[in-house]
Amino acid sequence: MLDESEDGARSLLGLSALADGELDPAATRQACSRWHGDAAARASWHAYHLIGDVLRSDDLASDTARDAGFLNALRVRLAAEPVVLAPQCVEAGAGDMEAVSDRRAARGSRWSWLGPAAVAAGFMAVASVLVVTRGNAPLEGASDSLARSSAGGSAVLTAALPVPGAASESAANAPDEPQTLVADGKLVRDARLERYFAAHSQFGGSSALGVPSGFLRAATTQAPGR
Amino acid sequence: MLNRLLSSLAMVLAAGCCTTAIASQPGAVGAGDSPLAPHETRAWLMRIHDAASHRNFQGTFVVSAGGVVSSSRIAHFCVGASQFERIESLDGQMRRVFRHNDVVHTLWPRSRVALVEQRDMLATFPALLQTGDDRIDTYYDLRPQGVERMAGRDADVLLLRPKDNRRYGYRLWADRGTGLLLRVEVLGERGEVLESSAFSDLTIGVKAQPDSVLLPMKKLDGYRIVRPSLTAARFDAEGWTLREGVPGFEQVSCVRRLLAGMTADDDDAATQVLQTIYSDGLTHVSVFIEPYNPARHPRGMHAAIGATQTLMRRVGDWWVTLVGDVPAATLRQFANALEYRK
Repeated sequence: MLDESEDGARSLLGLSALADGELDPAATRQACSRWHGDAAARASWHAYHLIGDVLRSDDLASDTARDAGFLNALRVRLAAEPVVLAPQCVEAGAGDMEAVSDRRAARGSRWSWLGPAAVAAGFMAVASVLVVTRGNAPLEGASDSLARSSAGGSAVLTAALPVPGAASESAANAPDEPQTLVADGKLVRDARLERYFAAHSQFGGSSALGVPSGFLRAATTQAPGR
Repeated sequence: MLNRLLSSLAMVLAAGCCTTAIASQPGAVGAGDSPLAPHETRAWLMRIHDAASHRNFQGTFVVSAGGVVSSSRIAHFCVGASQFERIESLDGQMRRVFRHNDVVHTLWPRSRVALVEQRDMLATFPALLQTGDDRIDTYYDLRPQGVERMAGRDADVLLLRPKDNRRYGYRLWADRGTGLLLRVEVLGERGEVLESSAFSDLTIGVKAQPDSVLLPMKKLDGYRIVRPSLTAARFDAEGWTLREGVPGFEQVSCVRRLLAGMTADDDDAATQVLQTIYSDGLTHVSVFIEPYNPARHPRGMHAAIGATQTLMRRVGDWWVTLVGDVPAATLRQFANALEYRK
């Protein structure tokens, strides 16, 4: 009995750490499988997120039916996506993309059928994560609102992915970076990007709005590291 | 030269008069939704800019972008022509920023690292307002949207709307009494809020305490001092051109710099880059160019965090990174126009 409750407590700790994004990949897998098999853990998991969401804003408080509705709507929309059976690789013009495109092509049409909307593709790429961690994004135009970084409290990361000819319209002015990955702001803290951000924000004082708009903002949000 | 100086002076004086007019008649601005005339727009921006420089204030500043909320304690003092600022982060690792005019010290007390920077552009008056350049009026219009309460104060709400889709809009809350910006929202193409920064509490007119900034700036014993290496450069002399400029954006600066790693032992990180800054008067875009290196630059990418967009891609033998608070399409326009001729 004692063992069982201890085990339960450890499991909850794991879930809590997972919700905070603090687990390594192995522990994440473990926590997710627990989450998958145990209805009580699922309830706790939802409660953790609800607590986190409500702390952020009252508007984020929602019942589980809304999450389920979101999932269902997502499934319906995914099912309605056209399937492209013969994806093409990106032309050699985008030289630096070749390696990536080869790798992607090797992975087959799992990705390419998402082509028609680059945003939708990105949304899909991490849909599994999002469904778990951010279940209560708005139903209407879900991909749209997720692409907007403010809506789901998420940031949008776009990496290179060849888009099949049929879908090139959406990528007309983005030959290099059509795939959009959606990730939580914290996940995107890439040291490589931070350096450019820091260098960029040094010039924030040049705005006509004066110091607060640029400098204070940059000083407040500056990279945590160093 | 003298002519130019005189005309800028005249502009400043003229704008100053407008500022006074607005300040003395706070009721004059109604809640109408029609854009203001260019001189009125300039007067508002001057007033806002002026308050940010010349008022003494202290408060808590909260920035919400990309799902991350950061806050800091801020104190700003103005003594004569000198400006002082003290900023202390309230989230994450302790970080203190001290500014005396254009010298900025960023201290990480825990790791004992001090970043000492000379930021020339901080102290300079925004050229657009100074020279009477009407670029802001050409690309934005300003609409008063009534009065709201913000951070315990009455604020004029102003909507700064872009006239094309190459830039974002802004909703501004300016303190009625002083013009100080209490809150700024960056608005996306559909009017959605991409990012907001605001004072959650604010006291205007505090006693100036320049020593609280100056003393810590002198006491750097025990700190490892990092100075970014920056040298002036010329975009065209480096062999680069923009085949086609992006309307409204003009080059304001070009430097060659080392992009140091964020941590002391991040040695591989030090890269020489050419950074060119383009500004439309309200927002700016940085174009970083460095030699392409397949090991470091695996693939092109586009990231959006809050209002800040980042685009990385290869251009010939070069790797370019564009960062700016502008729609992704604007960064693409810059990237597509880049050409190396050497």
